[in-house]
Amino acid sequence: MSVLPLDAADDASTQVAPPSSRRRLLPAALRRPGPLLAVGWLLLVVLLSFTAPLWRPYEVNDQDLANRLSLPSGAHWLGTDPLGRDLLSRIFTAGAEPLLAAAVTVAVAFGIGIPLALIAAERGRRVEQVISRCTEMLMALPSTIILLAVIGVIGVRTYVVMAVLGVLISAAVYRIMLGVAQSVRQRLYVDAARVNGLGSLRVNTVHVLPAMATVIAVQAAQLFGIAILINAGLAFLGFGPAEPVPSWGIMIQDASGHVYDAPWLMVPTGVVLALTVVAANVLADALAGKVAHVTAPARSRRPAPVRVADAAPADPAAVLEVRHLTVSVDDGPQLVSDVSFTVAPGRVLGLVGESGCGKTMTARSLLGLLPDGVSVSGGQVLWQGRDLAGLTEKQANGVRGREIAMISQEPMVALDPMFSIAYQLIGPIRRFRGVGRFEARQIAAQLLRQVGIVDADRVLKSHPHQLSGGMAQRVCIALALTGEPQLLIADEPTTALDVTVQAEILSLLRALVRDTGLSVVVVSHDLGVVADICDDVVVMYAGQVVESGRTAPVLDDAAHPYTMALLGANPHVPDGAPMPTRLASIAGTVPAPGSWPTGCRFAGRCQFTQAECTVPFPALPAHGDGTVLCTRVHEVHDAGVSWHAERAGAELPPAAGARHAAEPTPTAGASR
Amino acid sequence: MLGYLTRRLALAVVTVLVAVLISFLLVHATDGSPGAIVLGPGATPAEIAAKNAELGWDRPLVTQFLDYLGHLLRGDLGTSIIDSRDIGADLAARLPVTGFIALFATVLSGLVGVFLGVTAAVRGGRFGTFITSSSGVALSLPVFWVGILIVYVLSIQLGWLPATGYVDFADSPIDWAKGLLLPVLALTVGGAAIVARTANAGMRDALQAEHIRTLRAVGTPAWRIRYVHALRSTSVPVISVLGIQFIALFGGSVIIENLFALPGLGQASQAAVSSHDFPALIGVVIVATVVVVLTNLLLDLVVAALDPKVRTA
Repeated sequence: MSVLPLDAADDASTQVAPPSSRRRLLPAALRRPGPLLAVGWLLLVVLLSFTAPLWRPYEVNDQDLANRLSLPSGAHWLGTDPLGRDLLSRIFTAGAEPLLAAAVTVAVAFGIGIPLALIAAERGRRVEQVISRCTEMLMALPSTIILLAVIGVIGVRTYVVMAVLGVLISAAVYRIMLGVAQSVRQRLYVDAARVNGLGSLRVNTVHVLPAMATVIAVQAAQLFGIAILINAGLAFLGFGPAEPVPSWGIMIQDASGHVYDAPWLMVPTGVVLALTVVAANVLADALAGKVAHVTAPARSRRPAPVRVADAAPADPAAVLEVRHLTVSVDDGPQLVSDVSFTVAPGRVLGLVGESGCGKTMTARSLLGLLPDGVSVSGGQVLWQGRDLAGLTEKQANGVRGREIAMISQEPMVALDPMFSIAYQLIGPIRRFRGVGRFEARQIAAQLLRQVGIVDADRVLKSHPHQLSGGMAQRVCIALALTGEPQLLIADEPTTALDVTVQAEILSLLRALVRDTGLSVVVVSHDLGVVADICDDVVVMYAGQVVESGRTAPVLDDAAHPYTMALLGANPHVPDGAPMPTRLASIAGTVPAPGSWPTGCRFAGRCQFTQAECTVPFPALPAHGDGTVLCTRVHEVHDAGVSWHAERAGAELPPAAGARHAAEPTPTAGASR
Repeated sequence: MLGYLTRRLALAVVTVLVAVLISFLLVHATDGSPGAIVLGPGATPAEIAAKNAELGWDRPLVTQFLDYLGHLLRGDLGTSIIDSRDIGADLAARLPVTGFIALFATVLSGLVGVFLGVTAAVRGGRFGTFITSSSGVALSLPVFWVGILIVYVLSIQLGWLPATGYVDFADSPIDWAKGLLLPVLALTVGGAAIVARTANAGMRDALQAEHIRTLRAVGTPAWRIRYVHALRSTSVPVISVLGIQFIALFGGSVIIENLFALPGLGQASQAAVSSHDFPALIGVVIVATVVVVLTNLLLDLVVAALDPKVRTA
């Protein structure tokens, strides 16, 4: 009768579904064969158990002494027990009690747990603390033993005992429901309802409870199974219905005495009991949406790239040359198409564009760190005479950190929270530089000082959660430098940081380039960052390079309408000019991969679109050694037509606008 | 850290006191009458009252409770009203049996569960699905039924091990271990399934964490990412579940001791319940609560040692 822990730690079960999706979610979760069978079995057991007196072939105490301990036969479909009683009749006659008793436990546990959780979530910290301390205590009591003590005092009164079990388990229910209730109450629509003067009871019944429905259903199904097991366990110990009344527990106890001479006896009752509990758990899992998500994790099954040998020699002036790079979802649409650019030694290249333009995918493909299910489907990444796109996972791992390193967007989650900074730096240093532990620690401290950390020794001893965002990003940069790479890929290195810290990190990157001759690829949506540190810029739109060249000419004299539009969405206010009441944005959104138009992909949002824009066309040279991908570039750019920045959209900065929740529209320095 | 420990310790002491109070009230405040139980159904009300007075049950409840607490603090759990044996000594002799079963089953569940859960998370695919769904079935099986199945297969069909029979460690360590093996295996089936699920979910979350990409970006070998970094963060939920498992197995020992005829705490509590031996009932509740509370304290310490966020808070 082990009391299974309710899956408190299971975040899948504590996820909250918004009320709107509830009605569709339930049937969808159950529409797969496993859950359907489970529901079917539970319904069947309930039906057969409660109607047993109407259909059972024998009375429960009819003894067929000629056929004791018989195997299944025409007369006894499931066989008979040691007194020749019919197992089928007895099993389902016995079923009503555990089903009802388990329902009592569930009802009591939730009847106490949910109101307590709602009160604790509503009444604030002090009430919550008091209730939580009490439930912690309740949870620390040995529930099985207490249950037995209750039976010892009041005798075998099944429904009372199962209600006491419900009281004991209500503490666990409270704990799970409190988490859910608190997160629901923090939602905006609940706040809005409160502000609108809805009473506490109505807020709870109309908004909070429905949002908790999925979690309640999951936990109830799970608890139902547990309660059935406990009820059967008590009966097994002799604390259930007394002979000759049948119960699952006592029937299995009976079977345990005949395991030598009649092993079949344990099968029918055990299977019915086990299947019922399994069905309850399968139902719980299905409602929590778990089992369906078992997917194959990262197995590098990079398809052997079929490539035409490129005769053109690598550009001697470049460290990295990306040629016609195409990245696709496996068996799906392209995410990046035909992207080419070069990075020269000691120079900084910026990849810029709105969210969904393929910048990050391009950057990640340079290191072979694409997400599962996404891979390079064409083109080359030439690095020191090798094509990185054609390397095996093992070969690519030799390049990572040692030759090309990467820092990512969110410094606060980029370091392993379980290990000290020293541990995380010393490992790669020892691997890359072949030094001992002591020397590696010295190098680690030196690297931290190099990235501008003054009290390196204290930071080495810290864990990631003790660092600020800017400090964590400096540590990440130090980590990237452990292998003395020649190229650093920085994916939105400043986006998650405070404005003042952003400037510090950018000047650190600039100093590193100056002092070490490092090349850098910066991914950014922020034209201000690009103007600040990039020598060259590549503007991407919908998976393509639309314009590239030296930073100064591209930004000062943009040739592509998209670049013009980005610059036009620049909220910098000239000195003395009045503050605009509305900020400019680019009308429309980036088309999703798979729905890119033929011809110009920006045509749908461009002010200069004409019929010829829907026909494919090649990139044209621009800005000296750069390119531009616009068939009307001569009419638009050379004629000096300018983009009319629309004073459109919300009065909030584009970053908070509804269109791009994930990433703000590029704005020059808007976030700086 | 020190404040955290002090708070946990205080809660532990209060919990034990509450358990004493609850079980005491349960026995005294309901219409329990030890006299009637000792003397049997033939006794007259006068005889019963005299017996209750002899046992001290006619005194005010507060006096009785303080008296009981006083004895408890001196380690005296009283004597049985059925056979007058010393309850403290009896339970002390039984504690190791249940303790070792629960401990071995927890350790084995941990080893098997972590291996299966982690392998399923790393390998994924059909193997992963198979492990997750079969552990879902295994944790739903009633332990007494699993016990019978194991006896049928291992002792009757294969004849590897004795089905029942407990031998004292002092008499023969090998037979002692053999006697514990089947009960431990029976408890491990469900225990390992729960651990496997936790380890699997934890490992899959850990492998998708943002910092794993940082590790890959500095060329960290795959085995190191899996078995040093991801496994370390999986260890926190797994250790918590193992603690809960130990507690559950300790309580669940009643059934397994009944099935395998083992002289442990569970057997004592079943006997106390059947015979309405009130002092023994209170004693069993107190001992079980102390075990649970100590396990929780140990768990807090281990989690604090594993998780720097707790340790440095």
